[in-house]
Amino acid sequence: MVRLLRTELLKLRKSSIWLLIFVSPFLSLLVGLGETTAGLPEEEYWLTTYQWMSFPHAALFLPLLTGVFSAFVCRYEHVGGGWKQLAALPVSRGKLYLAKLLVVCLLIFYTQILLVAGLFSVGQWKEFQVAFPWETVAIGAFSGWLACLPLIALQMLVSVSWSSFAAPMAVNVIFTLPNILILNSETYGPYYPWAQPFLAMMPHTETESFRALHISMETLFIVILGSLMLFLFAGFTYFIRKEI
Amino acid sequence: MNDYIIETNGLTKKYGSTYVVNQVDLKVKKGEIYGFLGPNGAGKTTTIRMVLGLARPTKGSIHIFGKDMKKDKLSVLKKVGSLVEYPSYYGHLTAYENLEAVRILLDAPKSRIDEVLSIVRLTNDAKRPVKGFSLGMKQRLGIATALLGNPELLILDEPTNGLDPSGIIEIRELIKSMPKEHGITILVSSHLLSEMEQMATQVGIISKGKMIFQDSISTLRQRSSSKIRIKVSDTEAVSKKLLSWGYKVGSNENYIFVENTSDREIAEIIRKLVNHQCSIYRVEEEKKSLEQIFLELTGGEASL
Repeated sequence: MVRLLRTELLKLRKSSIWLLIFVSPFLSLLVGLGETTAGLPEEEYWLTTYQWMSFPHAALFLPLLTGVFSAFVCRYEHVGGGWKQLAALPVSRGKLYLAKLLVVCLLIFYTQILLVAGLFSVGQWKEFQVAFPWETVAIGAFSGWLACLPLIALQMLVSVSWSSFAAPMAVNVIFTLPNILILNSETYGPYYPWAQPFLAMMPHTETESFRALHISMETLFIVILGSLMLFLFAGFTYFIRKEI
Repeated sequence: MNDYIIETNGLTKKYGSTYVVNQVDLKVKKGEIYGFLGPNGAGKTTTIRMVLGLARPTKGSIHIFGKDMKKDKLSVLKKVGSLVEYPSYYGHLTAYENLEAVRILLDAPKSRIDEVLSIVRLTNDAKRPVKGFSLGMKQRLGIATALLGNPELLILDEPTNGLDPSGIIEIRELIKSMPKEHGITILVSSHLLSEMEQMATQVGIISKGKMIFQDSISTLRQRSSSKIRIKVSDTEAVSKKLLSWGYKVGSNENYIFVENTSDREIAEIIRKLVNHQCSIYRVEEEKKSLEQIFLELTGGEASL
Protein backbone atom coordinates (compact mmCIF):
# COMPACT_ATOMS: atom_id res chain seq x y z
CA MET A 1 0.00 0.00 0.00
CA VAL A 2 2.81 2.38 0.92
CA ARG A 3 4.54 1.47 -2.34
CA LEU A 4 1.39 2.18 -4.32
CA LEU A 5 1.11 5.59 -2.71
CA ARG A 6 4.75 6.34 -3.45
CA THR A 7 4.23 5.47 -7.11
CA GLU A 8 1.11 7.60 -7.29
CA LEU A 9 2.87 10.56 -5.72
CA LEU A 10 5.78 10.17 -8.12
CA LYS A 11 3.44 10.27 -11.09
CA LEU A 12 1.55 13.21 -9.64
CA ARG A 13 4.57 15.27 -8.68
CA LYS A 14 5.88 15.26 -12.22
CA SER A 15 2.63 16.44 -13.70
CA SER A 16 1.64 20.03 -13.13
CA ILE A 17 -1.93 19.38 -12.08
CA TRP A 18 -1.20 19.41 -8.37
CA LEU A 19 -0.51 23.13 -8.72
CA LEU A 20 -4.29 23.54 -8.90
CA ILE A 21 -4.39 23.24 -5.13
CA PHE A 22 -3.20 26.86 -5.11
CA VAL A 23 -5.87 28.25 -7.41
CA SER A 24 -8.92 28.22 -5.19
CA PRO A 25 -7.15 29.40 -2.01
CA PHE A 26 -5.54 32.17 -4.06
CA LEU A 27 -8.83 33.36 -5.56
CA SER A 28 -10.40 33.21 -2.11
CA LEU A 29 -7.48 35.23 -0.82
CA LEU A 30 -8.32 37.94 -3.34
CA VAL A 31 -11.97 37.81 -2.27
CA GLY A 32 -10.86 38.11 1.35
CA LEU A 33 -8.65 41.08 0.58
CA GLY A 34 -11.35 42.79 -1.45
CA GLU A 35 -14.13 42.53 1.10
CA THR A 36 -14.44 45.18 3.70
CA THR A 37 -15.02 44.48 7.35
CA ALA A 38 -15.83 48.11 8.04
CA GLY A 39 -18.73 48.72 10.40
CA LEU A 40 -18.48 45.32 12.05
CA PRO A 41 -17.47 44.71 15.63
CA GLU A 42 -13.81 43.78 15.70
CA GLU A 43 -14.36 40.31 17.15
CA GLU A 44 -16.31 39.34 14.01
CA TYR A 45 -13.54 40.35 11.57
CA TRP A 46 -12.00 36.89 11.25
CA LEU A 47 -15.19 34.91 10.88
CA THR A 48 -16.73 37.34 8.42
CA THR A 49 -13.64 37.17 6.24
CA TYR A 50 -13.67 33.39 6.62
CA GLN A 51 -17.26 33.25 5.43
CA TRP A 52 -16.57 35.51 2.47
CA MET A 53 -13.60 33.41 1.47
CA SER A 54 -15.35 30.09 1.98
CA PHE A 55 -18.26 30.92 -0.23
CA PRO A 56 -16.69 30.64 -3.71
CA HIS A 57 -14.24 28.09 -2.41
CA ALA A 58 -16.63 25.60 -0.85
CA ALA A 59 -19.70 26.15 -2.99
CA LEU A 60 -17.92 25.99 -6.30
CA PHE A 61 -14.21 25.27 -6.42
CA LEU A 62 -13.97 22.50 -3.87
CA PRO A 63 -16.59 20.24 -5.51
CA LEU A 64 -15.07 21.01 -8.90
CA LEU A 65 -11.57 20.19 -7.70
CA THR A 66 -12.64 16.76 -6.46
CA GLY A 67 -13.61 16.06 -10.05
CA VAL A 68 -10.53 17.57 -11.64
CA PHE A 69 -8.11 15.72 -9.38
CA SER A 70 -9.94 12.39 -9.69
CA ALA A 71 -10.12 12.69 -13.44
CA PHE A 72 -6.46 13.57 -13.56
CA VAL A 73 -5.05 10.72 -11.51
CA CYS A 74 -6.95 8.41 -13.85
CA ARG A 75 -6.12 10.39 -16.95
CA TYR A 76 -2.51 9.36 -17.29
CA GLU A 77 -3.47 5.74 -16.81
CA HIS A 78 -6.08 5.91 -19.55
CA VAL A 79 -3.82 7.72 -21.99
CA GLY A 80 -0.68 5.61 -21.69
CA GLY A 81 -2.29 2.23 -21.06
CA GLY A 82 -1.23 2.35 -17.43
CA TRP A 83 -4.24 0.41 -16.09
CA LYS A 84 -3.15 -2.60 -18.09
CA GLN A 85 0.38 -2.41 -16.77
CA LEU A 86 -0.70 -1.89 -13.18
CA ALA A 87 -3.20 -4.74 -13.34
CA ALA A 88 -0.51 -7.11 -14.62
CA LEU A 89 1.79 -6.20 -11.73
CA PRO A 90 1.62 -7.94 -8.37
CA VAL A 91 -0.63 -5.33 -6.75
CA SER A 92 -4.21 -5.83 -5.69
CA ARG A 93 -6.76 -3.81 -7.59
CA GLY A 94 -8.57 -2.82 -4.44
CA LYS A 95 -5.44 -1.27 -3.01
CA LEU A 96 -4.66 0.47 -6.27
CA TYR A 97 -8.11 2.05 -6.25
CA LEU A 98 -7.69 3.04 -2.63
CA ALA A 99 -4.30 4.62 -3.37
CA LYS A 100 -5.84 6.74 -6.11
CA LEU A 101 -8.60 7.85 -3.74
CA LEU A 102 -6.15 8.71 -0.99
CA VAL A 103 -4.04 10.83 -3.30
CA VAL A 104 -7.07 12.93 -4.23
CA CYS A 105 -8.12 13.19 -0.56
CA LEU A 106 -4.62 14.39 0.21
CA LEU A 107 -4.74 17.05 -2.50
CA ILE A 108 -8.08 18.36 -1.22
CA PHE A 109 -6.66 18.33 2.29
CA TYR A 110 -3.74 20.52 1.20
CA THR A 111 -6.17 22.83 -0.55
CA GLN A 112 -7.99 23.30 2.75
CA ILE A 113 -4.75 24.01 4.59
CA LEU A 114 -3.86 26.59 1.98
CA LEU A 115 -7.25 28.22 2.38
CA VAL A 116 -6.67 28.59 6.11
CA ALA A 117 -3.22 29.97 5.38
CA GLY A 118 -4.84 32.40 2.97
CA LEU A 119 -7.30 33.55 5.58
CA PHE A 120 -4.47 34.04 8.03
CA SER A 121 -2.54 36.13 5.51
CA VAL A 122 -5.56 38.33 4.82
CA GLY A 123 -5.87 39.02 8.55
CA GLN A 124 -2.18 39.83 8.84
CA TRP A 125 -2.39 42.13 5.83
CA LYS A 126 -5.40 43.94 7.25
CA GLU A 127 -3.85 43.93 10.69
CA PHE A 128 -6.72 42.35 12.61
CA GLN A 129 -6.06 42.92 16.29
CA VAL A 130 -8.12 40.06 17.72
CA ALA A 131 -6.81 36.53 18.05
CA PHE A 132 -7.24 34.10 15.16
CA PRO A 133 -10.20 31.79 15.88
CA TRP A 134 -8.21 28.61 15.34
CA GLU A 135 -10.82 26.21 16.56
CA THR A 136 -13.73 27.37 14.44
CA VAL A 137 -11.64 27.74 11.31
CA ALA A 138 -9.78 24.44 11.68
CA ILE A 139 -12.97 22.54 12.36
CA GLY A 140 -14.62 24.29 9.43
CA ALA A 141 -11.83 23.38 7.04
CA PHE A 142 -11.74 19.80 8.29
CA SER A 143 -15.53 19.40 8.02
CA GLY A 144 -15.35 20.76 4.52
CA TRP A 145 -12.74 18.15 3.67
CA LEU A 146 -14.86 15.41 5.19
CA ALA A 147 -17.84 16.54 3.14
CA CYS A 148 -15.73 16.25 -0.02
CA LEU A 149 -14.99 12.55 0.48
CA PRO A 150 -18.26 11.25 -1.02
CA LEU A 151 -17.75 13.52 -4.01
CA ILE A 152 -14.24 12.15 -4.48
CA ALA A 153 -15.57 8.61 -4.28
CA LEU A 154 -18.18 9.31 -6.94
CA GLN A 155 -15.82 11.20 -9.22
CA MET A 156 -13.26 8.40 -8.95
CA LEU A 157 -15.87 5.88 -10.06
CA VAL A 158 -16.80 8.05 -13.03
CA SER A 159 -13.18 8.78 -13.94
CA VAL A 160 -12.13 5.15 -13.81
CA SER A 161 -15.00 4.00 -15.98
CA TRP A 162 -14.75 6.63 -18.71
CA SER A 163 -11.48 7.04 -20.47
CA SER A 164 -12.38 10.50 -21.69
CA PHE A 165 -11.38 13.46 -19.57
CA ALA A 166 -14.43 15.52 -20.49
CA ALA A 167 -17.10 13.06 -19.40
CA PRO A 168 -16.27 12.98 -15.67
CA MET A 169 -15.83 16.75 -15.75
CA ALA A 170 -19.28 17.16 -17.27
CA VAL A 171 -20.82 15.04 -14.52
CA ASN A 172 -18.96 17.12 -12.02
CA VAL A 173 -20.12 20.45 -13.36
CA ILE A 174 -23.70 19.31 -13.85
CA PHE A 175 -23.96 18.41 -10.19
CA THR A 176 -21.96 21.32 -8.83
CA LEU A 177 -23.62 24.23 -10.58
CA PRO A 178 -27.10 23.73 -9.02
CA ASN A 179 -25.31 24.31 -5.70
CA ILE A 180 -25.90 28.02 -6.06
CA LEU A 181 -29.65 27.45 -5.98
CA ILE A 182 -29.80 24.47 -3.67
CA LEU A 183 -27.68 26.13 -1.01
CA ASN A 184 -30.47 28.61 -0.43
CA SER A 185 -33.02 25.88 0.04
CA GLU A 186 -33.65 24.85 3.61
CA THR A 187 -35.42 21.71 2.45
CA TYR A 188 -33.00 20.30 -0.14
CA GLY A 189 -29.71 21.82 0.89
CA PRO A 190 -28.96 19.44 3.74
CA TYR A 191 -29.52 16.38 1.54
CA TYR A 192 -27.62 17.36 -1.57
CA PRO A 193 -24.10 15.87 -1.43
CA TRP A 194 -22.57 18.63 -3.55
CA ALA A 195 -23.83 21.27 -1.14
CA GLN A 196 -22.21 19.60 1.84
CA PRO A 197 -18.70 21.07 1.59
CA PHE A 198 -20.14 24.56 1.83
CA LEU A 199 -22.64 23.75 4.56
CA ALA A 200 -19.93 21.97 6.50
CA MET A 201 -17.53 24.87 6.33
CA MET A 202 -19.99 27.45 7.56
CA PRO A 203 -19.82 27.96 11.29
CA HIS A 204 -23.18 27.72 12.99
CA THR A 205 -24.00 30.65 15.14
CA GLU A 206 -27.27 29.39 16.58
CA THR A 207 -26.93 27.24 19.63
CA GLU A 208 -27.63 23.60 18.99
CA SER A 209 -27.61 20.64 21.31
CA PHE A 210 -24.63 18.80 19.89
CA ARG A 211 -22.35 19.59 17.04
CA ALA A 212 -19.04 17.79 16.83
CA LEU A 213 -18.06 19.41 13.60
CA HIS A 214 -19.88 22.11 11.78
CA ILE A 215 -22.27 19.51 10.57
CA SER A 216 -25.29 18.15 12.36
CA MET A 217 -24.92 14.49 13.26
CA GLU A 218 -27.91 13.75 11.09
CA THR A 219 -26.30 15.17 7.97
CA LEU A 220 -22.98 13.58 8.81
CA PHE A 221 -24.35 10.10 9.07
CA ILE A 222 -27.09 10.09 6.50
CA VAL A 223 -25.85 12.31 3.72
CA ILE A 224 -22.08 12.28 4.00
CA LEU A 225 -21.37 8.80 5.30
CA GLY A 226 -24.28 7.30 3.42
CA SER A 227 -23.26 8.65 0.05
CA LEU A 228 -19.60 7.90 0.78
CA MET A 229 -20.38 4.25 1.48
CA LEU A 230 -22.57 3.97 -1.58
CA PHE A 231 -20.05 5.53 -3.96
CA LEU A 232 -17.08 3.70 -2.46
CA PHE A 233 -18.84 0.35 -2.67
CA ALA A 234 -19.91 0.98 -6.26
CA GLY A 235 -16.40 2.12 -7.20
CA PHE A 236 -14.61 -0.83 -5.62
CA THR A 237 -16.95 -3.43 -7.04
CA TYR A 238 -16.76 -1.91 -10.45
CA PHE A 239 -12.98 -1.57 -10.51
CA ILE A 240 -12.23 -5.03 -9.15
CA ARG A 241 -14.47 -6.66 -11.74
CA LYS A 242 -13.48 -4.39 -14.63
CA GLU A 243 -11.92 -6.01 -17.69
CA ILE A 244 -8.81 -4.11 -18.58
CA MET B 1 2.26 -31.67 -11.23
CA ASN B 2 4.11 -31.28 -14.52
CA ASP B 3 6.73 -29.05 -16.04
CA TYR B 4 4.46 -26.66 -17.88
CA ILE B 5 5.06 -23.01 -17.07
CA ILE B 6 1.73 -21.99 -18.57
CA GLU B 7 -1.09 -24.46 -18.85
CA THR B 8 -4.65 -23.56 -19.71
CA ASN B 9 -7.50 -26.02 -19.87
CA GLY B 10 -10.58 -25.33 -21.93
CA LEU B 11 -9.97 -21.61 -21.73
CA THR B 12 -13.00 -19.84 -23.14
CA LYS B 13 -14.04 -16.22 -23.45
CA LYS B 14 -17.43 -15.24 -24.68
CA TYR B 15 -18.46 -11.68 -25.48
CA GLY B 16 -22.21 -11.65 -26.00
CA SER B 17 -22.88 -14.72 -28.06
CA THR B 18 -19.55 -14.87 -29.89
CA TYR B 19 -16.69 -17.01 -28.71
CA VAL B 20 -13.56 -14.90 -28.94
CA VAL B 21 -11.50 -17.67 -27.37
CA ASN B 22 -12.89 -21.18 -27.52
CA GLN B 23 -11.56 -24.16 -25.56
CA VAL B 24 -7.91 -23.22 -25.80
CA ASP B 25 -5.39 -25.54 -24.16
CA LEU B 26 -2.20 -23.56 -24.15
CA LYS B 27 0.86 -25.48 -23.01
CA VAL B 28 4.21 -23.76 -22.60
CA LYS B 29 7.23 -25.66 -21.33
CA LYS B 30 10.11 -24.20 -19.37
CA GLY B 31 12.85 -22.49 -21.34
CA GLU B 32 10.87 -22.41 -24.57
CA ILE B 33 10.21 -19.47 -26.81
CA TYR B 34 6.58 -20.15 -27.52
CA GLY B 35 5.30 -18.41 -30.63
CA PHE B 36 1.62 -17.71 -30.38
CA LEU B 37 0.43 -17.17 -33.90
CA GLY B 38 -2.78 -16.20 -35.53
CA PRO B 39 -4.31 -13.68 -37.85
CA ASN B 40 -5.50 -10.37 -36.44
CA GLY B 41 -8.57 -10.82 -34.31
CA ALA B 42 -8.06 -14.55 -33.80
CA GLY B 43 -8.07 -14.25 -30.02
CA LYS B 44 -4.37 -13.95 -29.22
CA THR B 45 -4.58 -10.81 -27.16
CA THR B 46 -7.74 -11.93 -25.37
CA THR B 47 -6.02 -15.19 -24.43
CA ILE B 48 -2.98 -13.31 -23.17
CA ARG B 49 -5.14 -10.90 -21.18
CA MET B 50 -6.83 -13.82 -19.49
CA VAL B 51 -3.49 -15.48 -18.77
CA LEU B 52 -2.34 -12.26 -17.08
CA GLY B 53 -5.55 -11.87 -15.12
CA LEU B 54 -6.62 -8.69 -16.91
CA ALA B 55 -9.78 -10.33 -18.18
CA ARG B 56 -11.91 -13.00 -16.57
CA PRO B 57 -12.30 -16.29 -18.44
CA THR B 58 -15.88 -17.33 -19.16
CA LYS B 59 -14.82 -20.93 -18.65
CA GLY B 60 -11.66 -22.93 -18.15
CA SER B 61 -8.64 -22.76 -15.90
CA ILE B 62 -5.20 -21.17 -16.05
CA HIS B 63 -2.18 -22.47 -14.21
CA ILE B 64 1.12 -20.61 -14.23
CA PHE B 65 4.14 -22.17 -12.52
CA GLY B 66 1.61 -24.84 -11.53
CA LYS B 67 -0.40 -22.32 -9.51
CA ASP B 68 -4.03 -21.49 -10.10
CA MET B 69 -4.37 -17.94 -11.39
CA LYS B 70 -7.72 -17.58 -9.66
CA LYS B 71 -6.20 -18.14 -6.24
CA ASP B 72 -2.55 -17.12 -6.43
CA LYS B 73 -2.71 -14.28 -8.93
CA LEU B 74 -0.46 -11.85 -7.09
CA SER B 75 2.26 -14.34 -6.24
CA VAL B 76 2.28 -15.53 -9.86
CA LEU B 77 2.43 -12.01 -11.28
CA LYS B 78 5.53 -11.31 -9.19
CA LYS B 79 7.47 -13.63 -11.48
CA VAL B 80 5.89 -12.54 -14.74
CA GLY B 81 6.89 -9.65 -16.95
CA SER B 82 4.50 -8.56 -19.64
CA LEU B 83 3.90 -6.25 -22.54
CA VAL B 84 0.35 -6.35 -23.87
CA GLU B 85 -0.64 -4.93 -27.26
CA TYR B 86 1.01 -1.54 -27.11
CA PRO B 87 3.52 -0.37 -24.51
CA SER B 88 2.21 1.34 -21.38
CA TYR B 89 3.91 4.53 -20.35
CA TYR B 90 3.43 7.84 -18.62
CA GLY B 91 4.20 10.50 -21.18
CA HIS B 92 5.00 13.21 -18.66
CA LEU B 93 7.65 11.10 -16.95
CA THR B 94 11.11 10.32 -18.23
CA ALA B 95 12.08 6.77 -19.16
CA TYR B 96 13.89 6.47 -15.86
CA GLU B 97 10.90 7.70 -13.85
CA ASN B 98 8.58 5.38 -15.74
CA LEU B 99 10.73 2.46 -14.68
CA GLU B 100 10.98 3.85 -11.16
CA ALA B 101 7.18 3.95 -10.88
CA VAL B 102 7.03 0.25 -11.64
CA ARG B 103 10.16 -0.59 -9.68
CA ILE B 104 8.63 0.75 -6.47
CA LEU B 105 5.66 -1.58 -6.93
CA LEU B 106 7.89 -4.57 -7.63
CA ASP B 107 10.26 -3.70 -4.82
CA ALA B 108 13.20 -4.39 -7.12
CA PRO B 109 16.63 -2.91 -6.39
CA LYS B 110 17.29 0.54 -7.88
CA SER B 111 20.32 -0.72 -9.80
CA ARG B 112 17.98 -2.90 -11.84
CA ILE B 113 16.69 0.19 -13.67
CA ASP B 114 20.10 0.91 -15.18
CA GLU B 115 20.50 -2.76 -16.02
CA VAL B 116 17.26 -2.99 -17.99
CA LEU B 117 17.90 0.37 -19.64
CA SER B 118 21.20 -0.90 -20.94
CA ILE B 119 19.65 -4.21 -22.06
CA VAL B 120 17.25 -2.32 -24.34
CA ARG B 121 19.89 0.34 -25.09
CA LEU B 122 17.96 3.32 -23.80
CA THR B 123 20.58 4.49 -21.33
CA ASN B 124 21.28 7.66 -23.28
CA ASP B 125 17.62 8.62 -23.47
CA ALA B 126 16.77 7.77 -19.87
CA LYS B 127 16.37 11.39 -18.83
CA ARG B 128 14.00 12.40 -21.61
CA PRO B 129 10.21 12.55 -21.23
CA VAL B 130 8.67 9.52 -22.88
CA LYS B 131 6.11 11.53 -24.84
CA GLY B 132 8.93 12.50 -27.21
CA PHE B 133 9.93 8.88 -27.83
CA SER B 134 9.44 7.09 -31.12
CA LEU B 135 7.23 4.04 -31.16
CA GLY B 136 10.28 1.80 -31.30
CA MET B 137 11.75 3.45 -28.20
CA LYS B 138 8.46 3.13 -26.34
CA GLN B 139 8.36 -0.52 -27.33
CA ARG B 140 11.86 -0.99 -25.97
CA LEU B 141 10.91 0.82 -22.80
CA GLY B 142 7.95 -1.54 -22.52
CA ILE B 143 10.28 -4.51 -22.75
CA ALA B 144 12.57 -2.92 -20.18
CA THR B 145 9.58 -2.56 -17.85
CA ALA B 146 8.67 -6.20 -18.42
CA LEU B 147 12.22 -7.24 -17.49
CA LEU B 148 12.40 -5.04 -14.41
CA GLY B 149 11.29 -7.63 -11.88
CA ASN B 150 13.70 -10.33 -13.09
CA PRO B 151 10.79 -12.42 -14.34
CA GLU B 152 10.86 -16.16 -14.92
CA LEU B 153 8.18 -15.83 -17.52
CA LEU B 154 7.96 -13.10 -20.10
CA ILE B 155 4.73 -12.52 -21.99
CA LEU B 156 5.09 -10.28 -25.01
CA ASP B 157 2.10 -9.49 -27.17
CA GLU B 158 3.13 -8.35 -30.65
CA PRO B 159 6.44 -6.91 -29.44
CA THR B 160 7.61 -5.96 -32.91
CA ASN B 161 4.42 -4.21 -33.97
CA GLY B 162 5.17 -0.93 -35.65
CA LEU B 163 8.94 -1.29 -35.54
CA ASP B 164 11.25 -0.70 -38.45
CA PRO B 165 13.30 -3.64 -39.80
CA SER B 166 16.37 -2.90 -37.69
CA GLY B 167 14.18 -2.53 -34.61
CA ILE B 168 12.54 -5.87 -35.37
CA ILE B 169 15.89 -7.60 -35.68
CA GLU B 170 17.08 -6.00 -32.46
CA ILE B 171 14.04 -7.13 -30.48
CA ARG B 172 14.23 -10.57 -32.04
CA GLU B 173 17.85 -11.03 -31.02
CA LEU B 174 16.97 -9.79 -27.55
CA ILE B 175 14.16 -12.31 -27.22
CA LYS B 176 16.31 -15.13 -28.55
CA SER B 177 19.09 -14.42 -26.10
CA MET B 178 16.83 -14.46 -23.09
CA PRO B 179 16.19 -18.17 -22.47
CA LYS B 180 19.89 -18.91 -22.97
CA GLU B 181 21.26 -16.20 -20.73
CA HIS B 182 18.65 -15.95 -18.02
CA GLY B 183 16.62 -19.15 -18.27
CA ILE B 184 13.47 -17.18 -18.94
CA THR B 185 10.48 -18.78 -20.60
CA ILE B 186 8.88 -16.58 -23.23
CA LEU B 187 5.42 -16.46 -24.71
CA VAL B 188 5.45 -14.18 -27.69
CA SER B 189 2.52 -13.52 -29.96
CA SER B 190 2.54 -12.34 -33.53
CA HIS B 191 0.54 -12.46 -36.70
CA LEU B 192 3.71 -12.87 -38.73
CA LEU B 193 4.84 -16.43 -39.22
CA SER B 194 8.09 -15.38 -40.82
CA GLU B 195 9.00 -13.64 -37.58
CA MET B 196 8.18 -16.64 -35.42
CA GLU B 197 10.13 -18.96 -37.72
CA GLN B 198 13.24 -17.10 -36.73
CA MET B 199 12.90 -17.29 -32.99
CA ALA B 200 10.24 -19.67 -31.72
CA THR B 201 10.95 -23.21 -30.60
CA GLN B 202 7.29 -24.08 -30.08
CA VAL B 203 4.32 -22.71 -31.94
CA GLY B 204 0.64 -22.50 -31.22
CA ILE B 205 -1.61 -21.34 -34.02
CA ILE B 206 -4.96 -19.90 -33.14
CA SER B 207 -7.70 -19.06 -35.59
CA LYS B 208 -11.21 -17.82 -34.87
CA GLY B 209 -10.67 -18.47 -31.18
CA LYS B 210 -9.60 -22.07 -31.60
CA MET B 211 -6.17 -23.59 -31.24
CA ILE B 212 -5.61 -25.39 -34.51
CA PHE B 213 -1.98 -26.39 -34.16
CA GLN B 214 0.35 -26.71 -31.23
CA ASP B 215 3.71 -28.38 -31.51
CA SER B 216 7.36 -27.68 -32.14
CA ILE B 217 8.36 -25.54 -35.08
CA SER B 218 10.16 -28.51 -36.66
CA THR B 219 6.92 -30.51 -36.71
CA LEU B 220 5.31 -27.61 -38.49
CA ARG B 221 8.17 -27.61 -40.98
CA GLN B 222 7.74 -31.32 -41.68
CA ARG B 223 4.32 -30.53 -42.98
CA SER B 224 5.92 -28.65 -45.77
CA SER B 225 6.20 -31.80 -47.88
CA SER B 226 7.73 -31.26 -51.23
CA LYS B 227 6.71 -32.42 -54.66
CA ILE B 228 8.52 -32.54 -57.96
CA ARG B 229 7.03 -30.85 -60.96
CA ILE B 230 8.10 -31.60 -64.45
CA LYS B 231 7.49 -29.48 -67.51
CA VAL B 232 7.41 -31.41 -70.73
CA SER B 233 6.50 -30.82 -74.36
CA ASP B 234 3.13 -32.54 -74.35
CA THR B 235 1.79 -32.58 -70.80
CA GLU B 236 -1.36 -34.58 -71.42
CA ALA B 237 0.16 -37.40 -73.40
CA VAL B 238 3.09 -37.74 -71.05
CA SER B 239 0.96 -37.84 -67.93
CA LYS B 240 -1.21 -40.59 -69.47
CA LYS B 241 1.91 -42.50 -70.34
CA LEU B 242 3.27 -42.18 -66.80
CA LEU B 243 -0.05 -43.28 -65.31
CA SER B 244 -0.12 -46.30 -67.59
CA TRP B 245 3.34 -47.23 -66.32
CA GLY B 246 1.97 -47.22 -62.84
CA TYR B 247 3.34 -43.94 -61.42
CA LYS B 248 1.06 -41.87 -59.29
CA VAL B 249 1.20 -38.50 -60.95
CA GLY B 250 -1.03 -35.49 -61.12
CA SER B 251 -1.08 -32.80 -63.76
CA ASN B 252 -2.44 -29.51 -64.86
CA GLU B 253 -2.07 -27.68 -68.17
CA ASN B 254 1.58 -26.88 -67.67
CA TYR B 255 3.10 -29.33 -65.26
CA ILE B 256 3.18 -32.90 -64.19
CA PHE B 257 3.41 -33.40 -60.42
CA VAL B 258 5.01 -36.32 -58.70
CA GLU B 259 4.45 -36.46 -54.97
CA ASN B 260 6.33 -38.28 -52.20
CA THR B 261 8.88 -39.88 -54.37
CA SER B 262 12.38 -41.07 -53.83
CA ASP B 263 15.29 -39.71 -55.84
CA ARG B 264 15.62 -43.12 -57.48
CA GLU B 265 12.06 -43.06 -58.72
CA ILE B 266 12.46 -39.57 -60.16
CA ALA B 267 15.60 -40.67 -61.98
CA GLU B 268 13.72 -43.65 -63.34
CA ILE B 269 10.87 -41.50 -64.59
CA ILE B 270 13.20 -39.09 -66.30
CA ARG B 271 15.18 -41.88 -67.93
CA LYS B 272 12.01 -43.50 -69.30
CA LEU B 273 10.71 -40.18 -70.60
CA VAL B 274 13.97 -39.46 -72.34
CA ASN B 275 13.95 -42.91 -73.90
CA HIS B 276 10.47 -42.21 -75.22
CA GLN B 277 11.64 -39.07 -76.98
CA CYS B 278 9.84 -36.63 -74.69
CA SER B 279 11.37 -33.18 -74.40
CA ILE B 280 11.86 -32.30 -70.77
CA TYR B 281 12.11 -28.57 -70.16
CA ARG B 282 12.26 -28.39 -66.40
CA VAL B 283 12.42 -30.61 -63.35
CA GLU B 284 11.77 -28.57 -60.21
CA GLU B 285 11.12 -29.17 -56.58
CA GLU B 286 8.10 -27.32 -55.25
CA LYS B 287 8.21 -26.87 -51.51
CA LYS B 288 5.22 -25.65 -49.55
CA SER B 289 6.37 -22.71 -47.52
CA LEU B 290 5.42 -22.39 -43.88
CA GLU B 291 3.32 -19.46 -44.89
CA GLN B 292 1.27 -21.62 -47.20
CA ILE B 293 0.77 -24.15 -44.41
CA PHE B 294 -0.23 -21.34 -42.12
CA LEU B 295 -2.72 -20.08 -44.67
CA GLU B 296 -4.12 -23.57 -45.14
CA LEU B 297 -4.44 -24.05 -41.39
CA THR B 298 -6.10 -20.73 -40.78
CA GLY B 299 -8.39 -21.11 -43.77
CA GLY B 300 -6.82 -18.44 -45.92
CA GLU B 301 -7.97 -15.48 -43.89
CA ALA B 302 -4.50 -14.76 -42.60
CA SER B 303 -2.80 -11.46 -43.05
CA LEU B 304 0.82 -12.21 -43.61
